[in-house]
Amino acid sequence: MSATIDTAAPQPARRQEPPVQACGIGKSFSATGGAATEIIRSISFSLARGEIVSIVGPSGCGKTTLLNMLCGLLEPSSGGILWHGREIDGVPRGLGYMLQKDLLLPWRTALQNVMLGLRIARVPAREREERARAWLARLGLADFAGYYPSALSGGMRQRVALARTLAPDPEVLLLDEPFSALDFQSKILIERDTVSLVREEHRSLLLITHDVEEAVGMSDRVLVLSHRPCSIVAEHSIRLPVPRTEMIAARETREFAQHVRAIWTELDIR
Amino acid sequence: MSVPSGQNLTSADTAASLAAPTRRVAATQRGARPRHEWATVLASQLILVGLLLGLWELATRSEPARAFLYGSPSAILTNLVRTVRDGSLWQDTALTGSETLAGFVLGNVLGAAIGLALWYSRFASRVLQPFILALGSIPIVALAPIVIIWFGTGFASKLAMATLSVVVVALVIAYKGAMGVDPDQINLMRALGAGKHQIFLHLVVPASLTDIFAGLKLTVGFALVGAIVGEFMSSAAGLGHAIFKAGSLYIISRVFAELAVTILLALLLSAIVSRVERWLLPWRHDLQ
Repeated sequence: MSATIDTAAPQPARRQEPPVQACGIGKSFSATGGAATEIIRSISFSLARGEIVSIVGPSGCGKTTLLNMLCGLLEPSSGGILWHGREIDGVPRGLGYMLQKDLLLPWRTALQNVMLGLRIARVPAREREERARAWLARLGLADFAGYYPSALSGGMRQRVALARTLAPDPEVLLLDEPFSALDFQSKILIERDTVSLVREEHRSLLLITHDVEEAVGMSDRVLVLSHRPCSIVAEHSIRLPVPRTEMIAARETREFAQHVRAIWTELDIR
Repeated sequence: MSVPSGQNLTSADTAASLAAPTRRVAATQRGARPRHEWATVLASQLILVGLLLGLWELATRSEPARAFLYGSPSAILTNLVRTVRDGSLWQDTALTGSETLAGFVLGNVLGAAIGLALWYSRFASRVLQPFILALGSIPIVALAPIVIIWFGTGFASKLAMATLSVVVVALVIAYKGAMGVDPDQINLMRALGAGKHQIFLHLVVPASLTDIFAGLKLTVGFALVGAIVGEFMSSAAGLGHAIFKAGSLYIISRVFAELAVTILLALLLSAIVSRVERWLLPWRHDLQ
């Protein structure tokens, strides 16, 4: 089922090259009349196939700018971004993108919102609906297909947004604080579902968050950013003695606490 | 809280945090108290109207000169009955109503089309902006003499007046709606692989139509004003014509009778638009 849309990309390149590579990217914004402000200074990392990587950083350090550069919505001032070993030109294909705001269209029902990406990819109407319904069902929203977003709770809306992100079958997911507006219970459940849906199809996930526990709970690796101009100050490989879909059990382990404490120290919260 | 497998992830939060029931509970709570209050309000309104009409009638009965100058409720009723009997009430109402509706529809369609087209071309919108502002600042009433000269004294000139009264407002609403689309929403569409045309079609058009639909109640009133002003200037029939004629002949009660019919027409049109709005915006739970 994976990568049914992206047929044009050469297959051999995909095997060898990591899906996403950031090579020394930096970004400066010039304020009106003032000198340029450096937001991001030379960040390099790679995201392998099937890997879940989190980027944590103090608030306002430019995480969202970084994400927008990675998905081709914003051009870096220096350095380059490679998707499957190639320089990107605009928004790359096979990308799933999700923000803290669910960004559901209020005039579309949950089902129609999930179908949006498929509609844009010109998937035939019947297949579109079948796939969207299947995704809603997998996220436990089968009964709410006909509901408008205004009738759904925050947790359910974010689930619909996740289904919309996953429906076009993206290889790489870039998520920017996707669950930070949710209550603890909804958050744990949707984190668990995200992890298993990503692992299942060997997708790659880059999660940008300020929630250290979320980062440790979900990821294989955590990258820690510094204050502005931000750069990577530390990298943690997360190893926990429980299956990674056991969100609560994971949080109770000693290793989890150690990782969280170490990252907190590095975050240098002032 | 373990998951059997990847398939069919069950989620406790869908059942637990379902918004719909809470919303319904809130609605009934909101509905229960006002039902009692509503009756009191209505009764007070009826008493107020009765009181005013009674005083008016009393004051004009005692002094016939006053009745000539200010009209009287009983004479208004007589005039109303007469217009119903000779059929002019229905004719005038139907004519003014159709002028209003036609101008309302045409104005909104044109306004939405132009406003949306301006999103498509940043350049065109920059060029046209001052002209739109200029057009929007003209009191449409001031255009009536020219409109009569250009479009004649029949239906077309009233349609033009009603359309002109609506079109600029609709245009500005559509343009603002289109330009006000959340940039994050546009980024999301781009991330999903949408080009400019698809962003326009799937995001900008529905978003600004939502604003236009929400503005319909405002513009239907403008259309009615336009049609009546057009009839004031030059016409052979319609409510505006009837009011103008009765006023010129100093039949004040007749003026009030036609005015009452105009108010009823405005309320009827506004009720129709509310219905249409609810039908066009089914996701707006605040309208249901």
